[in-house]
Amino acid sequence: MVAWLLCAAALIACVVLRLYSLLPKGTIHKARIRPGTQSCSLAVFLGSGGHTSEALTLVSSLDFTRYFPRTYIVSEGDILSARKAAALERVKAAVSPPYSVHAPYRILTIPRARRVHQTLLTTPLTAACSLLACLYHVTLCPIWTSAPLAEVLLLNGPGTCFVLCVATYFNRLLGLPSPRLIYIESFARVRSLSLSGKLLRPFVDRFVVQWETLLQRDKRGDYRGWLV
Amino acid sequence: MSEPLSPSQASASAIESPLRTRTNVLVTVGSTRFDALVQAVLSEPVLAALRARGYSRLTVQCGNSEFDANGFEQQEEGLVQTTENGIDIVVWKFRPSLEEEYEKADLVISHAGSGTILDVLRLPRPLIVVPNPTLLDNHQQELADALGLLGHLRPSTVSELPQAIETLRDSKLVPFPPFNGSRFRELLDEEMGYVDSDG
Repeated sequence: MVAWLLCAAALIACVVLRLYSLLPKGTIHKARIRPGTQSCSLAVFLGSGGHTSEALTLVSSLDFTRYFPRTYIVSEGDILSARKAAALERVKAAVSPPYSVHAPYRILTIPRARRVHQTLLTTPLTAACSLLACLYHVTLCPIWTSAPLAEVLLLNGPGTCFVLCVATYFNRLLGLPSPRLIYIESFARVRSLSLSGKLLRPFVDRFVVQWETLLQRDKRGDYRGWLV
Repeated sequence: MSEPLSPSQASASAIESPLRTRTNVLVTVGSTRFDALVQAVLSEPVLAALRARGYSRLTVQCGNSEFDANGFEQQEEGLVQTTENGIDIVVWKFRPSLEEEYEKADLVISHAGSGTILDVLRLPRPLIVVPNPTLLDNHQQELADALGLLGHLRPSTVSELPQAIETLRDSKLVPFPPFNGSRFRELLDEEMGYVDSDG
């Protein structure tokens, strides 16, 4: 019995240490230099409403001939976000016809971690369901198809994006390829971070804010002015 | 914030064109409700302030707000009230897009939602924002104050609205910078290892 407990404790300690070693450090990340002609796959979570608008504004600024294929991840039932993503793709295709022949985008739907007004009691259940779906797309599918979800994943809240972050760390724990995680705090956040911002800040590879007042001392974060 | 009159600055801003006559005011509360704001803009003090500034048409996107609809007539475009001396009022709940309404407006009075703020300031249109104090997580107030401090818009409260309308001088508003996509593009290119920015 004692031996089992010791084994379990050792295993947990290993996992925690491994996780700790995976946490992004304060040092500046040196990316592998890519030739300008090489493509980069991109995924973005659209968290509905204002989150979706800001995320799509950010994506609209990118060179679509460079960032492809693109994966838009939406919550179950969020038809509006899926439509807005498709609309952006149409606009981009109209202004730069050469890439439109690839039509390289897809829309993934995942269950919500927590619905609006849902009781805290049932939240673990829906969150687990959401996590399973994320693990399927982020971890399992790439093993089968040997095509990772994306090389970079953009997040800007709310709750469900935390589940995507957990799934990404599962990959890192197992040593599988995982997307770089970039969190962009909303333009609406001037003096205090959103809940998802606070939750995700220690885990994401790059944490970007749009108001300098949010860059507290000794905390990681990037400020480049307003991005939307 | 007080806004002293300064006629010398009247032509300094791109927002106010001397040829443009003020006619339309748009009030928007966003996707939920803001009873106090809707009730206030339909009240005499605000209507008087609007009349004094020469506005003659008031459009209110009221969402699910509750207000006294006495004196309004249901028509195709919404609840309509035509007054003999002053301001024609139209009230409706939602439209799929407000873009067209923003364009028609000469002044926008809005809740402090960041999406609305960006859309209106980028057009640009003069903007008064009234953060909803009943929201639990009131970061809207922070955004309104911060942008007000920079001079891009005029933050107000429900009770100070008549005064905000009377003292707002469009020409004193600081033009809001246009969308700059290169910032995020460069950030991501850098993060993903693209050293040359032009590919």
